[in-house]
This record gives sequence, C-alpha cells and structure tokens, in this order.
Amino acid sequence: MSAAADIIRVSKPRTSGNWGPVLGGLFLLLACAAPFGLNGYGLYLLTLTGIFALVALGLNLLTGYAGQISLCHASLFGVGAYATAILTQKAGLPYLISLLIGALLTTAIGALAAIPALRLKNIYLAIATLGFGVVLQKIIFEWRSLTGGGGGLALAAPIIGGYEVGATGLYYLTLAFMILGLLGAWNVSRGRTGRALLVIRESEIAAGSLGIHAPRYKVTVFAISAFYAAIAGGLFAYLVRYINPESFSVGLSISFLSMVVIGGLGTIGGSIVGAVFYVIVPELLRGIKDAPGLAFGLLLVIVMVFMPQGLWGMLRRLWRRS
Amino acid sequence: MIANLVVGGLAAGCLYAMVGIAIVIVLNITDIANFAQGEMAMLTTFFAYWLMDGVGLPWWQAVSIAIVFGLVQGIIIQQVVIRPLIGGPVLSAIIATLGLNVVLNSVAGLIWGHQTYTFPSPFAFSPPFLIGGVPVSVDSVVNIAVGLVIIIGMTLFLRFTWTGLGLRAASQNQTVARLMGVSITRTSAIAWGLGGLVGGIAGILAAPSLFLDTNLMSALLIKAFAGGVLGGLNSLIGVFLGCLALGVAENLTGAYLSPSFADAITFIIIIAVLIMRPEGIFGRVRVRKA
Repeated sequence: MSAAADIIRVSKPRTSGNWGPVLGGLFLLLACAAPFGLNGYGLYLLTLTGIFALVALGLNLLTGYAGQISLCHASLFGVGAYATAILTQKAGLPYLISLLIGALLTTAIGALAAIPALRLKNIYLAIATLGFGVVLQKIIFEWRSLTGGGGGLALAAPIIGGYEVGATGLYYLTLAFMILGLLGAWNVSRGRTGRALLVIRESEIAAGSLGIHAPRYKVTVFAISAFYAAIAGGLFAYLVRYINPESFSVGLSISFLSMVVIGGLGTIGGSIVGAVFYVIVPELLRGIKDAPGLAFGLLLVIVMVFMPQGLWGMLRRLWRRS
Repeated sequence: MIANLVVGGLAAGCLYAMVGIAIVIVLNITDIANFAQGEMAMLTTFFAYWLMDGVGLPWWQAVSIAIVFGLVQGIIIQQVVIRPLIGGPVLSAIIATLGLNVVLNSVAGLIWGHQTYTFPSPFAFSPPFLIGGVPVSVDSVVNIAVGLVIIIGMTLFLRFTWTGLGLRAASQNQTVARLMGVSITRTSAIAWGLGGLVGGIAGILAAPSLFLDTNLMSALLIKAFAGGVLGGLNSLIGVFLGCLALGVAENLTGAYLSPSFADAITFIIIIAVLIMRPEGIFGRVRVRKA
C-alpha cells in the first residue's frame, strides 16, 4: 500500500459500524477474567504474550511506520530488565519507580541507537543496530560487579505499596501497561508523528520537502520504541525472576522483528497478534513428536508466503468481506 | 606473532567471504537478505558427511556431489518458497527465509541429532607451510586459495558470460532487463543456486575446524553479513575485502586489545566506518531520487 493510501486511511474517521469498541471491550473483559480460568503455566504464557506484545508495539512504530529496521531491541529489552532489577534489588527503590527510571535510561540509550539510522538504510542499518546490541549485551556481561555477569541475577518478588506482587498481580500490571501502551501507540500513529513517520518511510526527500525534520523524528521513534522495550524488560525480569545476559541475544531481536512482520507491519493490532503467534503457537506445537521447531518454521514460511501483509492484514480483509 | 594472526584472520575472513558472496549474489538480484544461507550450507556439509560416513565415498567424490547438492538445494528453495514472494514486501520474504532457517535446522536435527561430529579434512595431518619464515597451516592456505578462486571465478563469470551479464542486468534494473530478454525468474533461480553452491563450499571448509553440528554456520552467517556491509554490499570485491578485513581485525583486537571484547570492538569499528561511509568502504553511492 502506498504512503498516500496509508495516510488517508489513518486520518479517515471510521465509517463501517461501531464494532471496534464493542470487540475491544469484550477482549478487555476476557483479559481481566483470564487469571480465574487458567493454571499457573497458562497465566505465565499469557503474561509473556503481553510483555512481548509491548515490545512489538514499540518496534512496529519503528519498523512498520518509520521503516527503520532494528536488531538491537533484545538488548534494549535486556537493559530495561537489568536496570529495573538492579535499582529495585541493589538500590532498594520501589519497583514501579525503578521500572520508570530504568525505562527512561533505556530511552536515552535507544536515542543513541538512532545515530547510525540517520545515515544508514535497510541491511546496513540492520547490521549497525545488531552491532549496537552486541556491544550492549557485552557490557552487561562484563560489568560483573553490577550485573553479576554470566551468573545472572536471581530476583525476589516485587513489592508494590507493601504488598508482594505474585503471578496474578504481575499479570494485571502487564495488562495495565499493555492498555497504556496500546493507547500510546494508537495516539502516536494517528497523530502528526505517525503521519510524519509514514512519509519518512516512503521517501525522506519528500518528507524533507514537506517540512518534516526526518532526523528528529527518527531519534524520537527510536526512543519511543526503546521505552516500550524497557518497560517490557522490567516486567519480564520479574516474570521469570532470573535474568542473565544470554537471554537477550540477537536471536531474540530477530524474534521481535518476526513478530511485527507476522502480525502485520504498520498495524497496531498486528503487534499483538504477532506476539500471540510467537508465544502460543510453539506451545500448541509442543505435542507434535520431536518436531516442534520444524512445524513452527514451516508455519512461519507458510504465513509469509500466503499472507505477505501479515496475519492482521488477512484478518482485516476477511472482516471486510463478511 | 602478528604475521600469524594476520594469516589466521585472512583464513577466517575467506570463510566469511564465501558466505558473504553467497548472500550478496542472492541479495543483489532478489533484494532478499537470505537468513537461511547458513543453514543451507550446514545441510550441504551434513550431506557431504553422510556421503563419506554412511555411503563410504572418498573425500573428493563426497565433496563434489555435496556441492552439486548445494546448487540444486538453492534452486529448489527458490522455486518453492521464494518465487511466490517476489513482488511482495521484502521484509516478509526475509522473515520467510528466517522460517526456512528454523526448518532446515530442525530437519538436520531430526536426521543427524544435535551432537557434534568431526568432519574429516584431507589436509589435517600435512605439515604447515613456511612462508617467509612464518609457519602457516595447510587449512589456512586452502581456505585462502579457495576464497581467491571463488572471487576471481565469480568476477569473471559475472563479467564475461551471458548468464553473468544477465544476472548483473537483473540486479540493476529488473524491468529493463526483462525488456532485453533476461528472464527474471531464471536469473533468480541461478542466483539462489550459486548461493547454495558457494555457501556449501564455505561449510565444508569450515567444518573441520569448527566441528560439525546443526549450529555450524550461525556465527559465520552474522559475520558474513557484517563483513559484507563493511565492504559494501553492491560490489563483490568490496564484500570479499570487507570480510577479510573483519577476520583480520577480529584476530588482532582479540590478541592485543581484549579477547572478551573482540566482538564488541569489531562491531564498534564497523558502526564507525558505516557512519562515515553509509554504503560500505567500497560500495558505490547511488544517487537518491525521490
């Protein structure tokens, strides 16, 4: 789809029925009720889905809207996780405060990652951000006095307002951040910034001639997506209660990118669908005898061959047809 | 000491360069960064191993057949997976190759398991060469020699044969190439076949020193991308020299600066170079039009 069509779609008020809010409300109700119907492992998976969806929301703004590829998001996710964990565990700050401070710190680092993006494109940018991620991961690994190095960090349950937050609490916290993140991404994408990003994706020269300061927007969107990744990282650290640098490798960055593409580039709903696909489908395939990887890889190829616009694009087309 | 490090770096760099050349041939013609290149090479190497160990063929025959297998494998993958994706969003195609990467890896895992094999090399027990007083292992010499043969062969092929000219035409402008009678689907199949072939050679040469398992090529693939980007992806010589430079830089930073930060320092150098020369050191800067 061309940028022009995208921009028109973005700014057009919704005409076809008012099913959106109803469906959204229904999903929210389901999400709120979920902990009552799930066992511990199911709840863990659902929380993980929410956390990955947060990263995907931020990354989709960067890759889907602004057209910038990043392979350092696992490391930003990791920096968020480590910053939150260290501030809570070693500096003794309240969990939510350290989550925010960690996210702000990561935002600054994310803005740094934008520097190569000011001049690079496509694969060159992918490799530069990949390198940036490797450097971050290495710093986490070697700064042993602070991060525990390869031994990792084991974490106690977080405490909010005097209460220990268990698995259910963390789930609701993730849900809350998810909703905030969703609203944030929605606003960014439909406002001036989102439109500017779409123009930048199609042509930086055209963007410049329209008075859009491309470098400033690129730094902004890198920073925003880093913020999302960091909040998700801070939640992730306390979901798994044990982090080590190996968890935040290039492989995870590639998975984040795949989530966004499978879900649908440049769509908000796609980020969530992509995260669901990435967490839930391998679980469903675990039953297949000694070939879960094979089945998942095949599914990945099939989805891309038959739905190059991603799952969300497919769903939307089906919805319109009916 | 330093001469040793440089030669070792060149030998490693030649392996990166072979994977890099395989990636770049595919990339320039189909715009797709093939993340499955490493696993395709791994499968080819396993096939060679099976021919030797299971069928009992001698090294030369096994390797020759395996290289043909690599070529055919590339063409089949292009026809089955990539062809339907031509014309769609590039990132979708890249993620499809990523899925392929997972598929090939688990196929190899199903057939050969996840243990490590020693891949024989006919040069393993030969005494090292002495070049200017520096002992150089035969493996390194073979790597460098094969690397040179491939880069020279590829350059000649792309410059002086009709097929090669067709490949170059398709990489510059597909519409015009098609008007001149170059079949895009055929060129793309040839590119994938060549990629499979060259990558397979890299796998077979890398296996004796890295040991053969299903993750044989994952590190090599990233290095090849990095080296290619450093040199400039739109020039074959650039990719070759970039990969060599990467191999040498890695060895030298590992020995003189910090062994644990070697990777990180190498990447910092790459990022710095790219910020100054966004198309790589030898890349031609394209004039941008809206």
